[in-house]
Amino acid sequence: MARRQIKTALNTRLSTFQKIYLLLIAGFILGPFIPLIIQSFAFRWAWPDMLPSTWWLEQREKSLLPLAWDYVLSPYSRVWEATINTVFIGSVVTVICLAICLPAARVLAREKFRGKAAFEFFLSMPLIVPEAAIGIALLMIFISLGLAGSYLGIIIVHLIPTIPYMIRMLTAVYQGLGRDFEEQAMILGASRWQVMRLVTLPMLLPGVVAGALFTFLVSTNIFLLTFFMGQGKIITLPTLLFSKIAGGTLDASAAGITLVVTIPGIILLLITERFIKEEAFGKGFGN
Amino acid sequence: MWVQLMPVLAVLSVLFGGALVLAVMQSLGFAPWFGVNTFPDLSYFGALWGSWSFWQSLGLTLYYAIVSTGIALVMGILLALAMVRIFPGKSLYKYLYKLPLMIPYTVGIALAVIMLGNGGMISRIFAFVGLIGDPSEFPQILKTHYGWGIITVYVWKQTPFVTLTLYAVLLGVGRETEEAAAILGANKRQIFFGVTLPQILPGIVSSTLIIFAFNIGAFEAPFILGGGYPDTLPVVAWRYFNDADYTLQLQGMATVVSLALIASAILYSYLAFYRSFERRIGRN
Repeated sequence: MARRQIKTALNTRLSTFQKIYLLLIAGFILGPFIPLIIQSFAFRWAWPDMLPSTWWLEQREKSLLPLAWDYVLSPYSRVWEATINTVFIGSVVTVICLAICLPAARVLAREKFRGKAAFEFFLSMPLIVPEAAIGIALLMIFISLGLAGSYLGIIIVHLIPTIPYMIRMLTAVYQGLGRDFEEQAMILGASRWQVMRLVTLPMLLPGVVAGALFTFLVSTNIFLLTFFMGQGKIITLPTLLFSKIAGGTLDASAAGITLVVTIPGIILLLITERFIKEEAFGKGFGN
Repeated sequence: MWVQLMPVLAVLSVLFGGALVLAVMQSLGFAPWFGVNTFPDLSYFGALWGSWSFWQSLGLTLYYAIVSTGIALVMGILLALAMVRIFPGKSLYKYLYKLPLMIPYTVGIALAVIMLGNGGMISRIFAFVGLIGDPSEFPQILKTHYGWGIITVYVWKQTPFVTLTLYAVLLGVGRETEEAAAILGANKRQIFFGVTLPQILPGIVSSTLIIFAFNIGAFEAPFILGGGYPDTLPVVAWRYFNDADYTLQLQGMATVVSLALIASAILYSYLAFYRSFERRIGRN
């Protein structure tokens, strides 16, 4: 009896409830994409049909591409413009964020100093103060500085929500690194530059890549700050999609744009899974 | 040492600190660029707090934030506990469950529209099985003040975040303590509440703090899927801000400052409560 109890308590396999739960969650996460994909290929899909009454395939002679995709891929939808803006802003934000966070993370991981706890708290403040508050307040300042509606303005505000993530992930990397290897290299006669180039950087690299990818991801997903600062002049994928669905309805072209907006996330997911290990993420957020 | 901390400190102080200070000053009547300078002037707060619709908006904002954080937390704990088990297709599932984390909220809103709208998929399924004969007979889910559309989008997007955080913590602590408890005769319930839950508690607190703070300040989901007047506070602030009457911008600032104050008060007391709990159970 006792042994059976221990066995059930330590079961490493799924219970029936958990199996059903995993399936339900998978359906909850992925299920809505099915009608979205169908919608983007439909020619005519009226309520209450479960499937389109006329598919694009049957109406091929009328348009070469599915109607929705024809629009999405054309310059009129501004999808290309938004994609390029999103990638450009994300890359610049990532580089700046990395440059200012790397030295700070090194200190935070290795030094003890007065006011360290307060400093760390200050660095995570942007995660806690509502984005709308910061966005509207900064918009006032940026309008008077002429930064509203410019790339520079958007890049600067993107630093606010990305810094806390970058700092946490890089600090975790430095903590895992330890000083031993660097010290050994120095004892063996390596110069500072050699230590940096041959020991620290190679060991740091996977963590830095993870932090950079995550920062890029956060930046590409920001809606509110881009929407406020972009002033409709600069659009990114999230703000473009917002303008298409703001009325609360979703036509075929909006479905197509939704799918396009999903693609960078899928690409990043495939890349990050290799670099961002659950354990590393836990060090950043589990405390 | 401070040289290395300086860049990040400077950027955050100027942007973040500057924004906060200016927001507070404007909400107190300091806006010389409009020709308004009555600083310090509490009338904007007075007008705001004196109106019943502000409190309605606040209640609505908190309601969406609390309900969706609670649901995402429970769903995330259950999912994280299942993720540490061994099952076929786990490596694929590890990709799958993270998808909502990777894509913008606006995608989630689009999915809510196509699924939950009156002409959406669920409404079609209802018609298919013969429950309803017209889209208008479908119970309204979106654009109501119950906000189930908004809550669904938040839960869809944030359950993976909670799961990822807790799954990481669970992987970090390993299963030795659970095994020890089982050998000492604890049952499943006791192991969960006595061993596992205290171990993941820090992860629970930090992830709920982050998503709750986000939900309070979120704009796009309540704007598109909300039920109209009274709106949530971020939407109210945005409407003030875009009003043709520019003096209302100061009222918008007062809204934003109130929102930040309330959010910090709630989060601070949550953290303080958690710290005192930690001390009581003898950690730190």
